[in-house]
Amino acid sequence: MSGPSSRLLDARVVLQRGDLSLDVELAVQNGETVAVMGPNGAGKTTLLYALLGWLPLQSGWIMLDTKTFEAPGQDEVTPTYDRKLGMVFQDGLLFPHLTAMENIRFGAGKTEDLSHLIETLDLHSFIDNHPAQLSAGQTQRVALARTLAARPQMVLLDEPLSALDIAARSDARHLLQEALQQNVAGALLVTHDPSDAFALAQKILILEGGRVTQFGTADQIRSQPKSRWVADLIGWNVFEGIGETSSVILPNGVQVATAGLELAGKTTVMISPSSVALFVERPSGSPRNSWLCRVRQVERLDGLARVTLAGPVDLYADVTPDAVNDLDLVPGKEIWATVKATEVLAHPKLSPRS
Amino acid sequence: MTTRLPVGIRVLAAVAFSFVFVPLVSLLWRVPWSRLADLLTTETITDALLLSILSSVAAALLALLLGVPLALQLSRMAGLMASTVRAIVILPMILPPVVGGAALLFAFGRKGVIGSLVEDLLGLVFPYTVSGVVLANTFVALPFVVITVEGALRALDPRYELAASSLGAHRSRLTFRVVLPMVKPALIAGGVIAWARALGEFGATITFAGNIQGKTQTLPLAVFVALESDREAALAMSVVLMSVSLIVLISLRDRWWPVR
Repeated sequence: MSGPSSRLLDARVVLQRGDLSLDVELAVQNGETVAVMGPNGAGKTTLLYALLGWLPLQSGWIMLDTKTFEAPGQDEVTPTYDRKLGMVFQDGLLFPHLTAMENIRFGAGKTEDLSHLIETLDLHSFIDNHPAQLSAGQTQRVALARTLAARPQMVLLDEPLSALDIAARSDARHLLQEALQQNVAGALLVTHDPSDAFALAQKILILEGGRVTQFGTADQIRSQPKSRWVADLIGWNVFEGIGETSSVILPNGVQVATAGLELAGKTTVMISPSSVALFVERPSGSPRNSWLCRVRQVERLDGLARVTLAGPVDLYADVTPDAVNDLDLVPGKEIWATVKATEVLAHPKLSPRS
Repeated sequence: MTTRLPVGIRVLAAVAFSFVFVPLVSLLWRVPWSRLADLLTTETITDALLLSILSSVAAALLALLLGVPLALQLSRMAGLMASTVRAIVILPMILPPVVGGAALLFAFGRKGVIGSLVEDLLGLVFPYTVSGVVLANTFVALPFVVITVEGALRALDPRYELAASSLGAHRSRLTFRVVLPMVKPALIAGGVIAWARALGEFGATITFAGNIQGKTQTLPLAVFVALESDREAALAMSVVLMSVSLIVLISLRDRWWPVR
C-alpha cells in the first residue's frame, strides 16, 4: 500500500499539436486532486489526451503508481484501455444508443455491484433513460458514474461542471468531491471556475501557452499570483510597464515602486485589492505609491466593499463596510490610495506563445 | 416555424418531382390491369421475380459484409492513399455497368485470374450462373455501402472512441459495442440503397451472367426482352418492380436515409 503522500502520477508531457507546443511536468500525490487552470488554448485538454495515450508524446514520461506507460527507451507504449485512467468529458459524451445503466455498465466488470455508486450519485430515477432524455446535470452524473464504475486508479475531468447552471453547480461539486474521495486515488481536474478549483483541489496548476506558470496550493495562488492571467482570475489589479531596478514605469509615465529588485524590460505589476489603503488626506511620510484618485463605484459584497477608483492608476480596493462610511466613499469623491512597495508583486511579462 | 421558400425554388422543386413522377404514372397508364394476374403468373416472370429478389438481397448482404469493414478501414486513412482507394471503390458507380461486367469476366470468368482458381478449388463457376448474378449485383452495389457508411464514420465524434478506450474497451468491443451501433442508420441506409441498386441491375448482369431464362434472367432483363416481344408483360413486370421498391422505401419510413 502507498503512504498518504506517496506519488500517484508522475509525468512530463512534451508534444507539438498545431500551434501549441506543450511542455508540462506534473505530479499528483495519492489522495490528491490537482486542478488545471489556464486561458483557452493553453493546452489543458491536450494534456489530458496525452496522459490518456490519445496523443503521442514527443518526449517525456508518464508513470502511474508503479507502472510506466511511456518513457524514453521504452518501446511499448501502454494503450489507453490498459491505463486505468478514467476520463470525464465536458459534455458527458454518453453513448447515445445505450441507456444510462448500460453506459455505466460499459466499463464495469460483469459481476460488479454498482448499487453503491448509483446510490451516491442518486441515479435511480433515470437509470433506464437514454442520454437524449437526460438533463445536463443528470448526464454529468451518469458520465461520472460510468467512469468510476470502470474502477480507474485516477480520473481526469475536463470541465465536468461547466455544462451546469449555477444553482446545480454547488450540489454537483459536493457529489463530485464525495465520489472522488470514495472511488479513486487521485484526480486531475481541468476547470475555468476558480471556485471549483479552490473547493475541489488541494493544488492548482496554471497552464499558459503550453507551459506551467504556477503550481501550488490555493493559498499560494491567491497570495502570490505569478502571472497576469492568475492575477486577473483572482481579481487583482494588474498593470504592464517597463521595469527599472525596483520600479515599473507604466505607459502613462506613472512610476510604481515594487518588491522586485532587478527588474528590466516588460514587466507585469500585480496588486491585491486588499493591499490598497484609502485616506482622505495625503498620508504623512508619503509612501512612494500614493495616488489621488476619484471614486467611480462602490459595490458591497459579503463583509467587504469593493471600491473602483480612477486616477493616475485605475485600481480596485477592498475595504470594510465601516470604512465606506468613515471615509464617506461615494462616487465622485476624491481620495488618496496608497500601496506599500512590499505589497506590489512584479514579474517579467511572459512572452505570449502562439 | 419554417418560412416559405422563394417562388422560383418552389417551382423548380415541383418540376423536379414531376420529372420523376410523370413518366412513372404514364407507365401505369398503359398497364393492362384486368389481365395483370394472368401476365404475372407466367413461368418466365415468376422465375425472374424470384431470382431478382433473392439475388438483390444476397448482394445487399454481401455488400454490407464486405463494404462495412472497407468503410471502417477507409475512415482511418488519410491523404492521397485514402483518396486513391476511395476513387477505385467508387468507380463501379460511374463506370458503364457493361464495362464492369466485362471486367468481372476477366477476373472471375472461367479463364479469369481468380475464376479459374475458384473453379479448381471450390468447383464454383460464376459466369452464366446464379452466383454470377449475385457477384455482378454486389460489384455495382458495394460502393453505395462504402460511401454511406464511411461518411457516417467520419462524422462520428472521435472522442467516443477515446471515451470507450478509457473505459477499458479493446478494439473489438470498441467496434461492435460503440462504433457500429452509433452508425446504425447509415448501415441501414447503405444496405437499402445497395439492395435497390442491385434490384435494378442490368448491364453488369447481362454481360457477366448472361440472360438465360429460368437461370440468370432477372426481372430487369426479362422486362428488356419482353419490350421487344410482349409489351404488356413488360408493363406488368415494371409495375411489380416499382411496387416492391416503393413499398420497401415507404415502409422503412425514411430510416433508409439519415433525415433528421
